[in-house]
Amino acid sequence: MTALIIVLVVAVVLIAWLVGIYNRLVKLRNQFKNAFSQIDVQLKRRYDLIPNLVETAKGYMKHERETLEAVIAARNKAQAAVQAAAARPGDPAAMQGLTGAEAGLTGALGRFFALAESYPDLKANQNMLSLQEELTSTENKVAFSRQAYNDAVMAYNTARESFPDTIIAGATGFGPAQLFELEAPAVERAAPKVSFS
Amino acid sequence: MNFFERQEEARRSTRKLVGLFALAVFLIVLSVYLAVALAATWAEDLDLDVWNLTVFGWVAAVTLTVIVVGSLYKIATLRGGGQTVGRLLGGRPLQPNTRDLKERRLLNVVEEMALASGMAVPTVYVLDKEKGINAFAAGFGPGDTVIGVTRGCLDLLSRDELQGVIGHEFSHALNGDMRLNLRLMGLLHGILVIAMIGYWILRTTSSGSSSSSSSSSSSKKGGGGGIAFLGLAFLIIGGIGVFFGRLIKSAVSRQREFLGDAAAVQFTRNPSSIAGALKKIGGLEAGSRITNSHAEEASHFFFGNGMAKGFSAKLDDILATHPPLLDRIKRIEPNFDGKLPAVDAGAVSQAQQLAAKEEEAGGFVPGFAPRAPAPAGPPPAEAAPRTVDVDPATIADTVGTLDQAHLELASSFLARLPPALRDAARDPSGACAIVFGLLLDRNAALRRRQLEELEAAVDAPIHAETLKLAPTLDQCPVEARLPLLDLAMPALRRLSEPQYRVFRSAAERLIAADAKLSLFEFTLQRILLRHLEPHFHPARPPAVAYGSLRAVSRQASLLLSILAHAGQAQAERAAQAFAAGAGQLADTRAVASLLPFEQCGLADLDRALAALVQAAPAMKRRLLEACAATIAFDKRVTIQEGELLRAISDSLDCPMPPFLPGQALA
Repeated sequence: MTALIIVLVVAVVLIAWLVGIYNRLVKLRNQFKNAFSQIDVQLKRRYDLIPNLVETAKGYMKHERETLEAVIAARNKAQAAVQAAAARPGDPAAMQGLTGAEAGLTGALGRFFALAESYPDLKANQNMLSLQEELTSTENKVAFSRQAYNDAVMAYNTARESFPDTIIAGATGFGPAQLFELEAPAVERAAPKVSFS
Repeated sequence: MNFFERQEEARRSTRKLVGLFALAVFLIVLSVYLAVALAATWAEDLDLDVWNLTVFGWVAAVTLTVIVVGSLYKIATLRGGGQTVGRLLGGRPLQPNTRDLKERRLLNVVEEMALASGMAVPTVYVLDKEKGINAFAAGFGPGDTVIGVTRGCLDLLSRDELQGVIGHEFSHALNGDMRLNLRLMGLLHGILVIAMIGYWILRTTSSGSSSSSSSSSSSKKGGGGGIAFLGLAFLIIGGIGVFFGRLIKSAVSRQREFLGDAAAVQFTRNPSSIAGALKKIGGLEAGSRITNSHAEEASHFFFGNGMAKGFSAKLDDILATHPPLLDRIKRIEPNFDGKLPAVDAGAVSQAQQLAAKEEEAGGFVPGFAPRAPAPAGPPPAEAAPRTVDVDPATIADTVGTLDQAHLELASSFLARLPPALRDAARDPSGACAIVFGLLLDRNAALRRRQLEELEAAVDAPIHAETLKLAPTLDQCPVEARLPLLDLAMPALRRLSEPQYRVFRSAAERLIAADAKLSLFEFTLQRILLRHLEPHFHPARPPAVAYGSLRAVSRQASLLLSILAHAGQAQAERAAQAFAAGAGQLADTRAVASLLPFEQCGLADLDRALAALVQAAPAMKRRLLEACAATIAFDKRVTIQEGELLRAISDSLDCPMPPFLPGQALA
């Protein structure tokens, strides 16, 4: 009789403890998911700005159709990638895809702005200036939200991997979450090509 | 009934609730004992006396432990306050800078209501999986409120109706109901836990006996049956807990729902807003039902009855957390005919989408038809010290309420706010920049030094953003600064913990840059810490610790002295102002005399306010009246004095709506 009661009490305390750990993991997971939706808002804003940018530039850069198309293609690819990532934030494959697509877009935009340098009329265009300004500020905001997201992922991963949480995490399917890091695109790293032809 | 009386009432309800809880616990212990006795008799043919004191002692000890552990566990998890409840119910926090039209509209309604009532803008959660129309407010106080809204609410209600529902929730947020709700949720978990254990035992024994029946065929048949019986008994006994839990909840919750509806009408001056929302609940098939598995424990948080109908209508009536829908509508619209037109979820949704688009387009804001046109150009620059309308006699009655004038003030403030600032306030990095910008000194040399400090403390983009916003912020009128800070709160709560630490230390460095603490810096720092610190580092919320003014007489004299010195430069007039304030306190001996200016440090005020927040509601009312009398002594209240009064009121957990501009100015 007494033994049964003791077993019961121990079981209750043990369960409460395990539930506590589980709930903490859920909380941390929700935190990084929410942090991702913050990036999501900013990235979408960025993707909405890019067609305007291209539209404005079209009138001036008549002979750079390829570059403009590359920017739009990269933007569409990034938009699809962020949709995939938003559906499953933290999922390694989706996040890698987003990282890659974002790098591609940054590269394409870099080439676009480098080219735009040689069109003084475009550079002076008021619309272009304000779009460029807004794009920069959105990118800053993305960087800030990315920091928040990575902080949250770090906290989650640390909890997930440390004992005893790791037992619960393993048993209840808390997979590792992927950081959102931007790899510097190849164009930025490579030295500018100078041709005298 | 005003704010302070309702706070007192909430405290009284707590006592009643503890009584009911104790009764429930006693009955549960008794039933567990009977169940154990029966189980023992049947299973082992043990002849147990009906009153075996040792066994009863054991049973009582174990049952109480289970209840206490259950309650303490829940109370510990709920320490996170409103955000925990929001998460528990499957909510998703809205991004303050969301671009979804419906979400934007909801946030606009919440922002207006918060600014109008003088509360920091709460975080808003959306329960995406709930198709019914329902909403809740949760938190420990006005500072950490979370407002939750179901998907159905977002999709099916018009802006007016949404405003009514949010008004109802704000009245809970402003009146201390939420805190009681959280306590209740924690406490009741202990008695619900028994039913949960019973369910668990039953499930494990039934699955265990089916799988291992071959191995240990019938050696302990009786024991297994006994355990299963025990599980069943736990479930039934747990039913007592569930019953009492509902009874306690309905005892505290029902009357408040009428009060909440009445408050919504008072806030919006539009009875059809809340009545319309209630009618839509009635006409909708999903009604106000909440499907989340935690709906039972949180049923008393909601706007409408979240639970499905039970077996017996009569029992439902006794145990319902909410009054019947038709009664609620009839109280608002006495000649209501009882007809609830059916709501077609699809069609309404489309119409709402269109309406939301119109709002985004800017021009038309339903609910604010007679809005004053927004003046073009930047707000007028600072002229002679402007005054606000403060009436010391009625000031305490405005706490925890708002009316249409305040709502209009808030919505015109939002409309007049430069778009750059509005956007920044809704974005985490922008919100940091706004706080830094507000802290920048007007003195050019000092500002340069502050900016250098800032550059060293934060990332380059934030520094750049601060530089960009600074000129706009300099243009802002004084009275716009604190509302701007309130507006930035939800975005600041989105910072990650490390980001928050960087933000806080950078703000502290900016404040310390000139080696003295100005009144505005003090106010800003206090508001920031009060509203953000509990979010990032949950701690025990303050409880009432002082029941008489004499216990806090030192703090009260300091508070009045600082206000007197802030308003009057000459010591003689300051003494008169102090006397005017002290006269408002029923017990004039409770405060000493005016403290000399040198002894009125803001650091002391900080400590004094930390003590005064633990005063009983009725005392807070007297204190606020005394403060108002002190600053209104010369019949002229400057904006700075008014803002200081509001900050003090906020520190005492008594949100005070913004002051309407002084008569002389109009």
